[in-house]
Amino acid sequence: MTAVLSIAAAEWRYWRRSRLALVVVALFVLTLAFVSVLTNMRVAADAEARAHHQEESEETFLSQPDRHPHRMVHYGHYVFRTPTPLATFDPGLDSVTGQAMFLEGHRQNSATFSSSVSSADLGGLSWLTPAVIYQVFAPLLIVILGYGAIVREREARTLAPLLAQGTSAGALISGKLLALFSFALLLVVPLAVTALRSTSDGESASVAASLVALYLLYLCVWIGLTVLVSTVLQKRTTVLATLAACWLTVTLALPAIAVNATSRAEPLAGKIETELTMLNEVRDLGDGHDVDDSVYDALQASLLEEEGVERVEDLDVNIRGVLAGRSEAELTETLNEYAERRMQAESRQARVLNRIGWLTPTLALGAASRAIVGTDLEHYHRFLRQAEALRIEFVQGLNRVHAEELSYTADINRNRDEASSRRARVDASNWEVLETFEYEPAPASERLARASSSLQMLIAWLIALAASLSWAGMRLKP
Amino acid sequence: MTLVNSLKREARFVLRHRAFVTWILVVLGAASFAVWSGIAEVEQQRESIAFLSESDRTDRTEQFTSQSDWGAAAYYSFHLTHDAPSNFAFAALGQRDTSSWKHRIRMLALEGQIYEHDPGNPELALVGRFDFAFFVAFVLPLILIFILHDMQASERSAGRFNLLVASVADDRSLWRHRALVRSAGVLIAAIIPLTFGGIVSGTSAFTLATAAAWVIAYGIFWTIVCSWVASRDRNAQTILASLVGIWILLSTIIPAGSRVLIEHLVPIPEGADILMTQREAVNDAWDLPVSATMTPFYARHPEWTGYEYTGDGFEWGWYYAFQQVGDQTAESLSDDYREGRVERDRLAGLFALAAPPALLERQLQNLAATDMQSVLAYENRVRLFHSELRNFYYPGLFGNQPFDPARVEDLPEFIP
Repeated sequence: MTAVLSIAAAEWRYWRRSRLALVVVALFVLTLAFVSVLTNMRVAADAEARAHHQEESEETFLSQPDRHPHRMVHYGHYVFRTPTPLATFDPGLDSVTGQAMFLEGHRQNSATFSSSVSSADLGGLSWLTPAVIYQVFAPLLIVILGYGAIVREREARTLAPLLAQGTSAGALISGKLLALFSFALLLVVPLAVTALRSTSDGESASVAASLVALYLLYLCVWIGLTVLVSTVLQKRTTVLATLAACWLTVTLALPAIAVNATSRAEPLAGKIETELTMLNEVRDLGDGHDVDDSVYDALQASLLEEEGVERVEDLDVNIRGVLAGRSEAELTETLNEYAERRMQAESRQARVLNRIGWLTPTLALGAASRAIVGTDLEHYHRFLRQAEALRIEFVQGLNRVHAEELSYTADINRNRDEASSRRARVDASNWEVLETFEYEPAPASERLARASSSLQMLIAWLIALAASLSWAGMRLKP
Repeated sequence: MTLVNSLKREARFVLRHRAFVTWILVVLGAASFAVWSGIAEVEQQRESIAFLSESDRTDRTEQFTSQSDWGAAAYYSFHLTHDAPSNFAFAALGQRDTSSWKHRIRMLALEGQIYEHDPGNPELALVGRFDFAFFVAFVLPLILIFILHDMQASERSAGRFNLLVASVADDRSLWRHRALVRSAGVLIAAIIPLTFGGIVSGTSAFTLATAAAWVIAYGIFWTIVCSWVASRDRNAQTILASLVGIWILLSTIIPAGSRVLIEHLVPIPEGADILMTQREAVNDAWDLPVSATMTPFYARHPEWTGYEYTGDGFEWGWYYAFQQVGDQTAESLSDDYREGRVERDRLAGLFALAAPPALLERQLQNLAATDMQSVLAYENRVRLFHSELRNFYYPGLFGNQPFDPARVEDLPEFIP
């Protein structure tokens, strides 16, 4: 044990003397701090704009004057997604998907206006987030710091005396691992601080702790890989070339290849393509604005029979409102079917993509990180579903008002003159059917459970590396 | 020793160097993959356009001919607009990833339709694209760094440095030639797949040559930076760390900082505000007196002042008039949004001068017509087409021209 500690300490001394650790740590901390500030600013500005818009949009809706209820169905309402506390660390899908959605009768809109559309384009890496720094850059720094660990001793011909003096190969390797692990602990400090702070913003402690542990685990995979290659290969340049090529492949190339392969294996129909067929199906459902639409004859007849009256004017309810509600329900069923199908196709793609995490820990870590933080695909779908629930609720609420509060006669005569138009309005207090929207992320346990498959992949990597390292240790010769 | 001999000697050295040969293979492989996936993506976009154009036409003809008045015909007829990828787009997909290159629009207010975007599966979009421009701008410099950083340090630690310097007349030119031969190998390995891709995609020779010139100039820039830092008397690991630091500075910190600065300098209206303004104008119109819609409409279209709203409920003319007025209300916001994007893009071009990776990416996107200007040009074509649609339908809606399903033949066509 003392041998391990003294080797680790010696490694630190080497880093310090060559100012290597200093350069590397300074680089990491500066980049991370810079990117954290920028991401924080962006997320905070987004959050404020969202909160402001959400409130404003709700107020505007509620403060509408007396109107015909169906006008309010078309008037619509905006909902905005509020980010989870740790989204400043890993905004995940938030930067790609829209943050706002317009809710109205008769249709499901898509989330609009992601921030990337209107911003100045300064290259693929100007969108870095703290999470990506940890996923992509931290491994590179570990490689730079650690690639010489064993091979340096070999090239300087200090490996033979070390082993001859009774230091076991296992102790040597463990010492180098320990030195790099302590360095990784240092790298994780900023993340730990962020995680700790998020708990005061209402994030659960288990989420915060798991996130830190997850990233530490990921860095351990890289430490293992670095020391392994440094042990097995004979020359420093080949060690560096191999590790750098591994880094390029694992962090940049493989994820891109995985995306390519996934979209081929599980193709997803485009929006316009789907809408072409959907619109045709929707047109066959009938138009709820039109009482004379033959699709509704049966409904009309059954209503008349139920109440034992001859004419629609004599019904207790306003048939136009009833039809509007009925057609909205049917329409929503069709729309939801398409939306569900789309979401399932997206989830299927995500699952295929995540399975490739067995090949690249970066992909596995990214998926787990987004799941834990609450910025993954499931959370995006969650937002869509919650927004849809609000939409159908207020639209049907308005349709009920239309059916029960507005007489049929006043309704059909609404365009006759100014006074008739006034009679065809209902009191503004009815707009209260709109509930306040508050986006709710999944509970901590669910998020952690979703990260578990990625966690298994990381652990498998770690076990494989540990086994290879002990094998390499046994065969280590000067 | 002559220049040619010196270069030859370096080339021989380098080819026996296993790590270097590995690197050349990595570059060749990565560049080929980038080019291949770019071509596959462009292919898919073309297929999607072809498929949609076909079904769009069928659907429109069916809808238009089954209507009995102009209003319903306009309401149910959609028109596909698209921006086909250029024959160099495979190398730099650029804005095609984040902005729309296809829409299906109709006669309703345009502001409500033109910002529609289909990002595909966001989970996949997040990982981002590994296209040739990304590879050259960000990955290639790293590879040059890995290859060139220990040129002198490795000779020093092997104890050959003094011997080597003593064996040549001019030691500075030795290092220059060594760097030159190594980076030339890398650059050639990157340009070969690009050339093949260009030939397959039918890129013009001029575009291809310009792109290659940019890549070479960019490679020379990084070779100079690497050689300069590599000549410091430090151990290889520290030199490597410093070079990676420069790479992070130029590829990440300066671009990200510039972006935030530009967004601060050029505020633009939020997209949601444009939609809201337009929507509110359209929705309010239902309850406003008809004149509130028709007055601004006639101001824009004096030729239709003869149109009389009969005052009895719903009328298509009135409906489309307030669609247009909705666009008119949002016009100034929409103009600001467009001008803001133009200005942001102009400033980004300036700031990119301080960040070569961003500069290179922008140049390649410019050659590929996948930059912001191309996006805006496409948007303008959509606007123009939408106004052609209005010109087609307005005589029917406001001028009592009788509806004739055969007029489907005369519908304006979107010219990409």
